[in-house]
Amino acid sequence: MLYLILALISGVAGGLLVLLTGRNRHSLSNFITLFFSASAAFFCWRVAFLVFAGERVRFGWKPGELQWSLDPDPLGAVFGLIASTLWLFAAVYSFGYMAGKERQRTYYAFFLLSLSVTVGVAFSGNLVTLYLFYELLTLTTYPLVIHDRTSGAVRAGSKYILYNLSGAGAILIAIITTHSCVGNPDFADGIVLAGCDSPVLGWLLVMFIIGFGVKAAIMPLHRWLPEAMAAPTPVSALLHAVAVVYSGVFGILRVVYSVFGYELIGQLSFSKVLPWLAAFTILAGVLIALRQDILKRRLAYQTVSHLSYILLGAFTLEPWGLAGALMHMISYPMMKMTLFFCAGIITEKTGETRISRMAGIGRILPGTMAAFAVAALGMVGMLPLNTFWGKYYLMKGSVAGGMWPLATVLAVSGLLNAACFIPVVVNAFRGVRSPDRTGGDALQGGEIRSGTDSGAFGDGNDGNVLSRILKDRRMALMFVPALLLVLMSIVTGLLPGIVWPGVQAVTDWFFQ
Amino acid sequence: MGNGVTKMTEAIKFNLPVFVVIAPLFIAIVLPVFARRIRLAEGMVIFVGVLGLAGALFLAHIVLDRNSGTWIYQMGGWPAPWGIELTVGNLAASFLLVVMGVSLPVSLFAVGNLTHEVGGKQRTARFYTLFLLLVGALAGMALTNDIFNTYVLVEVATLSCCGLVSSRRHPRAAEAAFTYLMLATLGSALVLCGIGFIYTITGHLNMGFASQALNEIWQTKRHVVWMAMSLVFVGFAVKSALFPLHVWLPDAHSSAPSPASAILSGLAIKGYMICLLKFFYSVFGPGLIKEFAMDRLLVLAGMIAIIAGSVMAIPQDDLKRRLAFSTVGQAGYIFLGFGLMNKDGLAGALFYLASHAVIKSTLFLSAGAMISATKKRKISELAGVGRRMPVTMAAFTAASLGLIGIPLFSGFIGKWYLITGSIEAGSFLPTVVIIAGSVLCATYLFPVIRVAWFESAPKEPQKAAAQETGDAAVQRETAEVQEGPVQHGQLKDPGILQKLALVLLTVAIIVLGTVPGPLLELAKRAAAELLVLR
Repeated sequence: MLYLILALISGVAGGLLVLLTGRNRHSLSNFITLFFSASAAFFCWRVAFLVFAGERVRFGWKPGELQWSLDPDPLGAVFGLIASTLWLFAAVYSFGYMAGKERQRTYYAFFLLSLSVTVGVAFSGNLVTLYLFYELLTLTTYPLVIHDRTSGAVRAGSKYILYNLSGAGAILIAIITTHSCVGNPDFADGIVLAGCDSPVLGWLLVMFIIGFGVKAAIMPLHRWLPEAMAAPTPVSALLHAVAVVYSGVFGILRVVYSVFGYELIGQLSFSKVLPWLAAFTILAGVLIALRQDILKRRLAYQTVSHLSYILLGAFTLEPWGLAGALMHMISYPMMKMTLFFCAGIITEKTGETRISRMAGIGRILPGTMAAFAVAALGMVGMLPLNTFWGKYYLMKGSVAGGMWPLATVLAVSGLLNAACFIPVVVNAFRGVRSPDRTGGDALQGGEIRSGTDSGAFGDGNDGNVLSRILKDRRMALMFVPALLLVLMSIVTGLLPGIVWPGVQAVTDWFFQ
Repeated sequence: MGNGVTKMTEAIKFNLPVFVVIAPLFIAIVLPVFARRIRLAEGMVIFVGVLGLAGALFLAHIVLDRNSGTWIYQMGGWPAPWGIELTVGNLAASFLLVVMGVSLPVSLFAVGNLTHEVGGKQRTARFYTLFLLLVGALAGMALTNDIFNTYVLVEVATLSCCGLVSSRRHPRAAEAAFTYLMLATLGSALVLCGIGFIYTITGHLNMGFASQALNEIWQTKRHVVWMAMSLVFVGFAVKSALFPLHVWLPDAHSSAPSPASAILSGLAIKGYMICLLKFFYSVFGPGLIKEFAMDRLLVLAGMIAIIAGSVMAIPQDDLKRRLAFSTVGQAGYIFLGFGLMNKDGLAGALFYLASHAVIKSTLFLSAGAMISATKKRKISELAGVGRRMPVTMAAFTAASLGLIGIPLFSGFIGKWYLITGSIEAGSFLPTVVIIAGSVLCATYLFPVIRVAWFESAPKEPQKAAAQETGDAAVQRETAEVQEGPVQHGQLKDPGILQKLALVLLTVAIIVLGTVPGPLLELAKRAAAELLVLR
């Protein structure tokens, strides 16, 4: 229980400390951020291992009529692990990305507060607590969305609040309906709605899906997500590809498997529609992504598409489908964060945001574009990378559930993903840099100069590129997390057994 | 000697309900004598506030202790049909607690800050007189069990509200006060007509007896009862600013001095709502409300008010006007809850009433502190205030979150029970409207928070002209702002008493949100009592 509390308050404590530091003590606030992200991750791992070992870790508080509880089951533990571990990478990347920028203190403070709240979402033991943290997540990430203070960012922030609070409202109605039927039991005590025989169960499911669907960006509730890309890149990478949207996905997994349970939900007619809704979002998201020229927006729409991979797996109501969903949940963020990290490096180093202007950029930033290329293959689902396994189990699950067209959808989506990113990579290495852009003004750092010296990419071997990158401290801070994520992805892709115990714990938990 | 003291405390305890009402009224009348020694007068106001809160807490304790039945206090020892009764029940105790609990921080905030806002010691003393009259009248409304006494107290409250609105020396304040006086008097007249009808057909002014008589004769006097009910409803609706009868409120509440705005928006309109509640549930009874479809009217009016008030608040750039329109919207929640006709809905409405009283006072007080420090009323001009006045803005933020209905803040509990109630009532639309109201509320309050916390303060004009662009310059600018208190000397948190008031209210918001226990219990029991069919 101590680990649970420590995992939860690490972020809050760090955030408050950052607010207390002086205005220009950047290295101190960086250290605090790193320390508290690391401690949160450490305690999340401890909690997760306790949970996987079958122990019940619970902290409850009942001041009034409402019971608040932290009570992670394997699913919560997996989400806590994903979020807190990836936070570390994003934190290191932020040190590079944010260096020399304004308002760092606000940034790191809310960055850490969001960590706490995300851990809270993961570990919340019942619906009311889940709602609390879900709502708080909107509020603590809002300052990060409007971080640039431009009119675009402010508009994005308003949209963000509007969409997410409306979604939370729908959830609140559903939770109160549930509460008046069965009270507020812990998820770990079994299916929440087990004893409830209410005629409105179908509508209850609709409200839940609409509510959590806002953060999970199910079409047509996704529109806040591309707008929220006004945030700094590490925020886009972490929150709007992983933490925030995952809290929506996690909410839906909770609703399907903990609140209703796969048996009860299978009897509701609405649940037959859900996989097709997810399939629609998968295809529509990636098709819209194809048409975006701004790289971050393309990535955003592609996020919309990939979130529905996870939902699709969950909606098949099959053990294999759920396993696929979890595999994808674990592996996809590694690749997606790499893509975002690379996009951020490109923008920082060359000032380019549009894909059409990125021709030839691979010669300037060979290491970055190489990582980008690997991650792009990951998005397609190629074998040495771990995303393959997610896709494999998703297909297996949808065939097992008798929905073979869904497997086709996944395959087609893989091709479309390839169409999204492979041309970018090819163009970056083979294309010619547009002549109207001299590039001198925005370019800085050693890598670029030496990159133009050596001419083509093929000249420098990899170690050479790496050593050049590492000379520039800011570049190193941004590039190393991306590189590590790629390595992690390859390792878990070759040895999926590393993550399998976690996945199996969850599927066993829900399908006994 | 010891015996004498025990007797004395016994007597005080026994007569506590009267003391709670009389003490503020008495001090109010005495206060003008001390106009020249304003510190003493302020001390007396605070003293009365503390006494009142202690009394309210004690009464609430007594009521919570004796699980059933209300404590009926007979004025002068005369029994009911002839004498006047005060009832100390769950409803009275909870509202008394709200009145005293909010008015004490408000008077703390007013002390020492008010003289320059209203101009002159004489006027300050007058302000406190009116303030205490209002508090006494509200306490009386909570306790009285007599229809005509209610009317008298309503009039006292109305007139002192008018005085409070006009206490700032400003033509707009005078205009607003006049509009308010006209409409509020119209409301009082309607209520008086309604009371006349009730008295004519029942022959009673005591609520219990009138209710009994009404239940026996209403079938033969259908139209009269319907008329009386409508008159009372419209009269109190005008006074408590139910949309579309709210037209006086935005001007009145935004042009009053901030402590007055706080108490007007926080408490005064709630007093009339409690009166309406008592008339509807204690005099006419739930049966008649349903018979004449007043419950549906209340729900409908409440829903319209929530949406309309909140939508109208969005385009206001004047901070206090935005808060005033927000009051119109929030009042809708309470009316909606009154009309749900089930225990959870009614308890939710009562809890929401308490929570909104605390929240709106906090909002108005912190807005007042910001306005008097910056001398600016527009939201767009408040950029960067949060950094300079962190306590004030933190209170404002907590109150906003409470109003939006974020868990752990008091508004959430109120909304929770309101939604439970409307689900129980089987109507889906109110549920959606309650949620929509929250989202709208975020739409009009979030910009304030964003501008105040996250936008940097405007640069001095001549400095801005000389500024070169670039990071170094920005950093120098911020460093200057931080170190140079000369040009922004006045822009800091208000005095210690004001801060204390804001902190007390903020703590109340969070305590009500996390440990709603006793107040929620009172509200639930009051709801259960009111809903008993007679």
